[in-house]
Amino acid sequence: MAALAVRLIDLWRRKQTLIKRALAQPKVPPRIESTDVQGLVFRGYGELKACRYVLLQLTGEARAHAWLSSLAEQVTQGENRSPATAVHVAFTYAGLARLGLPEATLAGFSQPFIEGMATPHRSRLFGDEGKSDPKSWAWGGPGTEPIHAVLVLYATSDAALSEVYSHQRDSWSNSGWTEVTSVVCSSTIDREHFGFSDGISQPAIEGYHESKSALHVIKAGEFVLGYQNEYDLLTSRPLVASSASGAEHLPLDVEAESARDFGRNGTYLVVRQLRQDVVAFRSTLDHLTQHPDGSSNPEARALLAAKWVGRWPSGASLVKTPWKDEAALSRENEFGYHKEDPSGLLCPVGAHVRRANPRDSLDPNPGTEDSMGVNRRHRLIRRGRVYGKELAPGAVDQEERGLMFVAINANIARQFEFIQHSWLSDPRFSGLRGESDPICGTLESNCFTQQHSPVRRRYTGLPRFVTVAGGAYFFLPGIRALKYLASLGSA
Amino acid sequence: MPHQEALSVVATLEPSRRSALEQTLTGMRADPGHNTLVPFAKLPNCHFGRVFCWDAMSDPQGNVLPPQLLLLADCDGSSDVFLADLVNVAGEGLDGVFGHCTDYPSNPSAATRLDYLKNHRVKERAHYAHRPGRSVEQIKQEAELRVAVDEFLAHLDAEDSSALQVRERVRAFVSAHPKLSSLIEPAPSTELGYRVRQTLDRVLRPLLVLLLGPVLTPVTSVGVLLIRLQELKENARHVRPERDHLDRLTVLEDHSAHNAYAAGGFVKPGALRRAAIDSVLQLVDYGVRHLFNEDSLAGVKSIHFARWVPMPNRRMIFTSNFDGSVESYNDDFINLLGWGLNLVFSNGEAYPPTRWLIFGGANYEEHFKDHLRRHQIPVQVAYSAYPTLSARNIENNAALRAGLSGNPSEEEAQAWLRLR
Repeated sequence: MAALAVRLIDLWRRKQTLIKRALAQPKVPPRIESTDVQGLVFRGYGELKACRYVLLQLTGEARAHAWLSSLAEQVTQGENRSPATAVHVAFTYAGLARLGLPEATLAGFSQPFIEGMATPHRSRLFGDEGKSDPKSWAWGGPGTEPIHAVLVLYATSDAALSEVYSHQRDSWSNSGWTEVTSVVCSSTIDREHFGFSDGISQPAIEGYHESKSALHVIKAGEFVLGYQNEYDLLTSRPLVASSASGAEHLPLDVEAESARDFGRNGTYLVVRQLRQDVVAFRSTLDHLTQHPDGSSNPEARALLAAKWVGRWPSGASLVKTPWKDEAALSRENEFGYHKEDPSGLLCPVGAHVRRANPRDSLDPNPGTEDSMGVNRRHRLIRRGRVYGKELAPGAVDQEERGLMFVAINANIARQFEFIQHSWLSDPRFSGLRGESDPICGTLESNCFTQQHSPVRRRYTGLPRFVTVAGGAYFFLPGIRALKYLASLGSA
Repeated sequence: MPHQEALSVVATLEPSRRSALEQTLTGMRADPGHNTLVPFAKLPNCHFGRVFCWDAMSDPQGNVLPPQLLLLADCDGSSDVFLADLVNVAGEGLDGVFGHCTDYPSNPSAATRLDYLKNHRVKERAHYAHRPGRSVEQIKQEAELRVAVDEFLAHLDAEDSSALQVRERVRAFVSAHPKLSSLIEPAPSTELGYRVRQTLDRVLRPLLVLLLGPVLTPVTSVGVLLIRLQELKENARHVRPERDHLDRLTVLEDHSAHNAYAAGGFVKPGALRRAAIDSVLQLVDYGVRHLFNEDSLAGVKSIHFARWVPMPNRRMIFTSNFDGSVESYNDDFINLLGWGLNLVFSNGEAYPPTRWLIFGGANYEEHFKDHLRRHQIPVQVAYSAYPTLSARNIENNAALRAGLSGNPSEEEAQAWLRLR
């Protein structure tokens, strides 16, 4: 009887989903005003090998906005599809407040952005404890200089990047901005430090990207404010009274007639500097896969590493090629875990990529449109880059290296924070027990279960391979919003 | 195995004792299981327990309503027996908690304490248990079984064995285990008396509805139409929660596998809404007793227990114990159970706009999430008998035990060995 009731409700819910879809279908998705969106939302500039993140503080007052005026002209907009250099800027809540954004506008930002990344509750949620404690962060923590903005610069080579950097530095330092720290990314490494291709599975933005994949096409409102999200709603956005000075720079709000939309074409940028302990990663793998006589077993080591990641170093999914790497399959990204591997015998349930994006394996009814619908509400655009030198096999570790993790989302709580906590960190993800993500998990003594027939294999004693060295939430404004911000200086 | 019952005690706090109570609760919170006042862990049939304060507030007419102190527990077997046990175990500790209330006896004895709690008991309008009949003892034993079997399998060379062969070895291991051998038998079912009562209730209530059908149908139709008219006039604004309020909530959240949730508010004024909430909660009560009693509340599998408690002054409190973060809980609600939430909570003040009681509402994601946050009540003291186990872990552990008996095929044995 209970089963019948659940079944009926299920059918009814599915019918509702279908009706909703049918109603939504004929509507052509609105064109994104891509010339007003910073291009970082649409592309990661793979061809621009050199990249630098500059974390800035506003120390002067007088001419702070002058730099923004010139920046508004230089920021790379979304229709500039293959630029030779790219410039992007985003601000923290404290930064926007310092720049004089009206109080009522500031109150319109999302709660996580207002509160910041380093609150005690978030530290608990993300496992930012121990070595990842914000108190020991190099930037963005309670003990470091406040961060007001991040400038992200891209160029084809290190030399070209340095030119862009010094040009920008002259402008910001003349306007009262100070560089707190910089993270210079590596222009020569194309895999992250554990040896894997990264950033393969990216959502395609409906109305901008060409993809037709039901798996990866996501409503624009999940990544850009001012458009419908996966609930067919507009995400909350910061508004400015139409009568406010400078408001004419901003687009009218679509819902409130007397307001202008500061948020439209902007989005939130999550930045976390993730330190990778490559020596620990390699030695743990080696130790766990040694032959009975204690000698290394390179094949088993490579296989276990792939099981942890869920992909091979080339990027090929274990669902497609479970026992050896096949570079030809590295871009093959149209698969469902439930559909092809419900028990995790190929790609373990707790593998990093399966946790970060479980695709069709979520309740209710794994393998169905309902399940995919839930998944679509928890996607991220990732724009991470590798920093620090490559560590040669067997070499002694002498300096820090890692990943500047950068994610773009319109709803930090439902997207980044949910994925970080409920999927990556949760020791009970998908019915597992006592194990966090094998790569970026947060347990000091982690485990990993590899589903196997007839009996699972359980690996214990995994240390933390990734710790957090800094982080903050930023708002990446649209270009008109940037012009409005610049105009606040003359008010 | 015993069925589960709820205990809800609601007392009015002496307003001047509010900060003293906060100190008391903070002290208890350091160790909800073994604190000196109400040591829940010493009550072996207590699944979840909590003590918290619903602060003073103004009603829509501007009258100030005094703060309320609540003690809630989910227990195995009779809640009357549980209450007596509680008074025995906590003894004078109860004075430290309820002594802050307006009408607590001045020289309490065991008898007056029990009387006091009995007099302040409130009957829940509905009580959900994830899996009726599964006792604390069973959950803990099966969790131990899980750990032991895992450990056994980790050291078993099974590469060339069939699943059935492995299963036989697991069975032999469990049979010979000094502590766990009884788990080789399937879990007994709930008491006969309980099952008989359940069956009668399951049949009689629909019968009654059928009999009253000729009256109920027109009355309900008119009621729903009138509510629809009300809905058209209502215009609940989306208001964000206050930062201080959020801080008071989040400091208590995400310390173990579970969170203890509580939300309260006013039922909309008028006889129509009162009738609506009464009928809907009747449906909910029937639903959680007879339809959603096999591991999910209409699809939401992460809730261990939930209840709806009527409160003085036209108010209602909903509480639950669930796995994971509030964000994921809210998402589950919206994705799976939006209609159900709308049906109940749209009769409460300030709920996001609904249509025909079930459409809209929770589907306005941010408005809904902020509404819940604004109505959420901090739960200062929350106890769980099994703070590391998710509902899904508990299900899997039970399936592990169930698979020790019977005559499975090789395929079934494979699936059994794959249980997470």
